[in-house]
Order: sequence, then C-alpha cells, then structure tokens
Amino acid sequence: MLSSLFDANSLPVLERVVNFTQARHGVLAGNIANLNTPGYKTRDLSPQMFQQRLRDAIDARDQPVSPTQAMSIGVVQSPQERMADEFKLVDDSLRGILYHDETDISLENQVTEIAKNQQEHNLAINLMAAQFRLLRAAVTERVA
Amino acid sequence: MFSTFDVSTSGLVAQRARLDAISSNIANISTTRNEYGQIAPYQPRYVTFQTDTNITTAGGGAGVRVATVEFAQRPPAMKYDPGHPDANPHGYVAYPNIDMTNEFVDALEATRAYEANVGVIEITKDLSEQTLRLVA
Repeated sequence: MLSSLFDANSLPVLERVVNFTQARHGVLAGNIANLNTPGYKTRDLSPQMFQQRLRDAIDARDQPVSPTQAMSIGVVQSPQERMADEFKLVDDSLRGILYHDETDISLENQVTEIAKNQQEHNLAINLMAAQFRLLRAAVTERVA
Repeated sequence: MFSTFDVSTSGLVAQRARLDAISSNIANISTTRNEYGQIAPYQPRYVTFQTDTNITTAGGGAGVRVATVEFAQRPPAMKYDPGHPDANPHGYVAYPNIDMTNEFVDALEATRAYEANVGVIEITKDLSEQTLRLVA
C-alpha cells in the first residue's frame, strides 16, 4: 500500500533526477580538481541522454500493462537498471580547445554546468519536499 | 555524494603544493648555496599533477595528486660581483635562474584554481544540505 502511495506520483522520477545530478556533480568536481593536470580530458554525464531515458521510463510506466506483457516483464530491463547505465556513460568528450598540455578544460563552461546542475538538483529536492508535505497533509487531514 | 568533497579536496591539496613550490622558488631567488652550505645556486622546483583514480565519485569523477616535484635544470644566471664571497675566480656569482614574472603568473593561476575548488566544495555542501533537508 505504501509503495503505491510513493510510486504513483512523481517521487520516483525526482529521485532519479537527484541521483543523476549528484553523480554528475561529482564528475564535474573531478574536472575542476584536474584543472592543471596535463593530458586530462573533460568528463561528463550526458543530461540529454538521461532525460531521454527518463522520458522513456515514464512513458513505459504510464502505459497500461497487459497480462502477456506482465509475463515477460522480468526480461525487460527495469527502470533502475536502465538508469544505472547513465552512470556508466562517462565519455571522454573532446569538445573545446585542446591546449598544449593536452587538456581541454574550460573553467567557465564547467562552472556554468555545475551551477545549472545545482539548480536542477535543488529544484528536484524542493519538488520532493512539496510532495512529502502534500502526503503529510493528506495523512494528518490537516493543512500544515 | 560525500566522495565529491574528497575530489575537490584533492584539488585543494594539489594546488596548495604548487603554491608551496612557487613560494619556495621566490624565497630562494637570491640563494647561492645549497642546504649543506656548498656553493650551488638554488634549483627552482616545479610540481606536476596526475589524475588520482584512488579518489573517485559514483559517476566517474576522479581526483588529482602531485605526481612529481621536478627540479629545473637551467644554467644559473651569472652576475658580476667580485666582492661577493661566493664569486668564482672570474668574479661572477651564480644566482638561481628564476623569472619572477613567471612565478607570479603561476601563483595567480594556482590561486584561481584553488578558489575554483573551494567554489565547488560550497556547491557540494549546498547539494548535500538540500538532500539532507528531506530527512529533517
């Protein structure tokens, strides 16, 4: 009963967003730490690909499941597994200028990405907090 | 999440080591003898960095560490000063070949990189604070 209470709304989606933004923040922090490491190539997790997968997962969840589909559902990758792929997707992106010490880090770009990532993370957290407030209001039958 | 702090801290430590080397170079800009008191001009030191995969985050972020401290193998700067106790028979004193401008630009770069890491730590603090707010 509780699982349906928590899984029916946007909480699972927000949870994935928080996980992803935290993981991405770690990667971007590594870029800043290696600002002066010769030969270091910028690393990143792709937000576009993450959002695409997330959209697919949401669409799949919203589709009504027929009994035959339910039989084969064990074979299909669970959303959690698909999400885990995102974290493995660490590509050496070769965007930007390659300097003489074979680094390509643009501090400005990195800082902007970190700030955007932070906003996204905090947005998801605030939405989650709002969801919990909503649930609490329903459970206590009182508007807090 | 908390391993992100370690990554940024490794950046702080590395940049600090670099600043230490730079301040040592500037402090010894007129040093004509080595630590044993023998006549040998100070050799400027330079810190090199390498990616440290012992410090990693969940998404694949990596830390940094000091790889080596290199001694510059430059010929000394010879200055004519016959009265100097360390002057050679021709009256020249071997001073360290350190370019003050280079050192200061390096110091500035290290300081800015240090500040960038501090900025990231502040954001990491904000992220974990926001996340922990859900618990409270």
